[in-house]
Amino acid sequence: MTGAGRKQQSFSRKRRRRSQWRGLLYIVPAMALVIVFFVVPVIFTGWMSLHNWPLMGTQRWIGFNNYFRMFNDSRFMSALNFTAYYTVIVTIAIFAIAFPLATFVERQRRFVSTYRTIIFLPVVIGLATASLLWVWLANVDSGFIGPALKALGLVERSPNLLASFDSAFLTIIVMVVWKIAGFTMIILLTGLQAIPAELTEAARIDGASRWQRFRYLTLPLMRRTIALALIISVTGSILAFDQFYIMTSGGPQNRMISVVYYIFNQSFVSFNLGYGAALSIALLIILVLISIAQLRLLKVGEERP
Amino acid sequence: MIKRLLAATGIATLCLITGASAAEKIDMWVRSGIGDSFKKVVEAYNSTHENQVAATEVPFSELVQKYATAIAGGQAPDALSMDLIYTPAFAAAGQLEDLTDWAKQLPYFSSLSPSHVRLGTYQDRIYGLPLSVETSVFAWNKDLYRQAGLDPEKAPTSWQEIEANAEKIRKLGDDTYGFYFSGGGCGGCMIFTFTPLVWGSGADILSADGKTATLDTPQMRKAVDIYRGMVKKDLVPASAASDNGVNFLSFTNGKIGQQSLGAFAIGTLVTEHPDINFGVTLIPGVDGGTSSFAGGDNFVVTKGTGKLDAVKEFIEYVYSMKGQKVMAKYGSLPTRGDIADKVLEGLDPRMHVGLEAISVAKTPYTLQFNDLINSANGPWATFTNAAIFGDDVDGAFANAQSEMQSIIDSGQ
Repeated sequence: MTGAGRKQQSFSRKRRRRSQWRGLLYIVPAMALVIVFFVVPVIFTGWMSLHNWPLMGTQRWIGFNNYFRMFNDSRFMSALNFTAYYTVIVTIAIFAIAFPLATFVERQRRFVSTYRTIIFLPVVIGLATASLLWVWLANVDSGFIGPALKALGLVERSPNLLASFDSAFLTIIVMVVWKIAGFTMIILLTGLQAIPAELTEAARIDGASRWQRFRYLTLPLMRRTIALALIISVTGSILAFDQFYIMTSGGPQNRMISVVYYIFNQSFVSFNLGYGAALSIALLIILVLISIAQLRLLKVGEERP
Repeated sequence: MIKRLLAATGIATLCLITGASAAEKIDMWVRSGIGDSFKKVVEAYNSTHENQVAATEVPFSELVQKYATAIAGGQAPDALSMDLIYTPAFAAAGQLEDLTDWAKQLPYFSSLSPSHVRLGTYQDRIYGLPLSVETSVFAWNKDLYRQAGLDPEKAPTSWQEIEANAEKIRKLGDDTYGFYFSGGGCGGCMIFTFTPLVWGSGADILSADGKTATLDTPQMRKAVDIYRGMVKKDLVPASAASDNGVNFLSFTNGKIGQQSLGAFAIGTLVTEHPDINFGVTLIPGVDGGTSSFAGGDNFVVTKGTGKLDAVKEFIEYVYSMKGQKVMAKYGSLPTRGDIADKVLEGLDPRMHVGLEAISVAKTPYTLQFNDLINSANGPWATFTNAAIFGDDVDGAFANAQSEMQSIIDSGQ
């Protein structure tokens, strides 16, 4: 009796072990990709960050000096400041546009798939391509925006949008919103569509106003979706580089240098690969912390309240 | 049977070997914005030689980092037309082929442009040889001068005169401007065209040993005031404020009255824009005197390339009378002093002004040229934009001065 039970137990254990091995086999390709293209490079970057590592020539071990240097580097601090400023503004702008768009294309109406396609279209353009396109649009003489304003009689002479910080920053924000809002809209749309129609119906019968339905029904049910869209948007903004590099080369008087731009400059213009690696690790830590904070604030992972 | 097979494969292999060694293909990079002289000399070489040169144009502001990353990644081209001021930095890093023995046996070695050879020499070994020479000069559009009621044959000799002429030219029309410069953070453009204003009057932005930044001088203040004044009076197109060098040759559109350009641009104007009737003279200093920036490119060979002989053949062709003629026709001044007059014979007389400028020209020598001057986010590029277009001139001077000094100090 006991012998038979033990046999049964060991048999099921063996089976479990075998299925565990099989499970592992299934994820090996994915693991291999992650290890080769993420884990190893991160470890190597960490190793480089402990060296004085010029692009050409020999490297020298300097311990944590690159990390100490960072705290006294005023240019790095101003890059952090600018990136934070940009992230806040652009994220608010993207959500302010994407949310209304999502509610607009959620309802069944005529041509709704046409609207969705048109709004989503800029997303499939590469960011560098979009930046180049907008450099032309913003060109003072041969572009579109300035000459159009002049033709409409709104301004006396065509303004050079990329020459001052405020107008250049505004141009970039508009470009990024135009480019990204469609993507955020699609994510939010999936969240909206997942809300059962009966709930909204019931709330309406109970006499909840439009705003109340949005505030107490839609928003809480969309928390996970919003968290996803927010993390994608914030991460993307913190890693912004192309638009500043292409549209303003760092902006009038270096006022648009994002963190990634600064890392690029340190690594490939000043050839300090070691310091660039240290800055990259710092940026990675900042990103992880921000993502954890966002997940906490939005209480994703916990059950419904 | 087997013997025959062996013989056949043997012959086939031999053919392959000789086939491979008969015609080499040299990969060469060249920076953009130096006119067509290099492109044309490559064309001339390819059409008369079995070896071929494949030239790739790289944006001038990115050439240094692209080359350095290519070396680090083992993807570097065989040879490079490198802005001469970078030769010491790459030679010091041990990335260039030592050309000393071969160079010294060239019969005309002693007459090659001395400043190029000086910058191509590191610890008594030669790593770079002159490829193209250019100087900055001041150009004016004679047609616009005439329309504005100015004497088209009289070259301006002071900045007061240039400004007064610019005002008259601006009155000609809505899209006609008196003056132009690439002021949107183009360090390379501004060191080339703007520093001669202070050099001509005896000041400099770096001390002679290159260890102190000396940006804030009365001469520089005056030069900044002149440019600011012209911007404020609307004599300069609004696009100048964000031009990072892409539109450096705006003068070619025929709507710009005056601009400081290089000898390369003379070649481009003469060969590609023959309708533009222009004159050239030396760039005046702010307090009298004249000056110029002597620049150009050095020929460097990546260490370890297997095509050294082919590269040498190409260099010798460039130095031949034929090669020099082609180069000069498209705006590169002769690199060989011994045949300079013969090369320029029959070419546009305005090229002689470029040659004349060499005697008053300067070239800064610093290993940190990219960090200090040329980088779009470096202190010099930032300074020129902030001081000329910004609201806070004093702040621009103070920031640039301290940042330049800190870059110099960190490099010691």
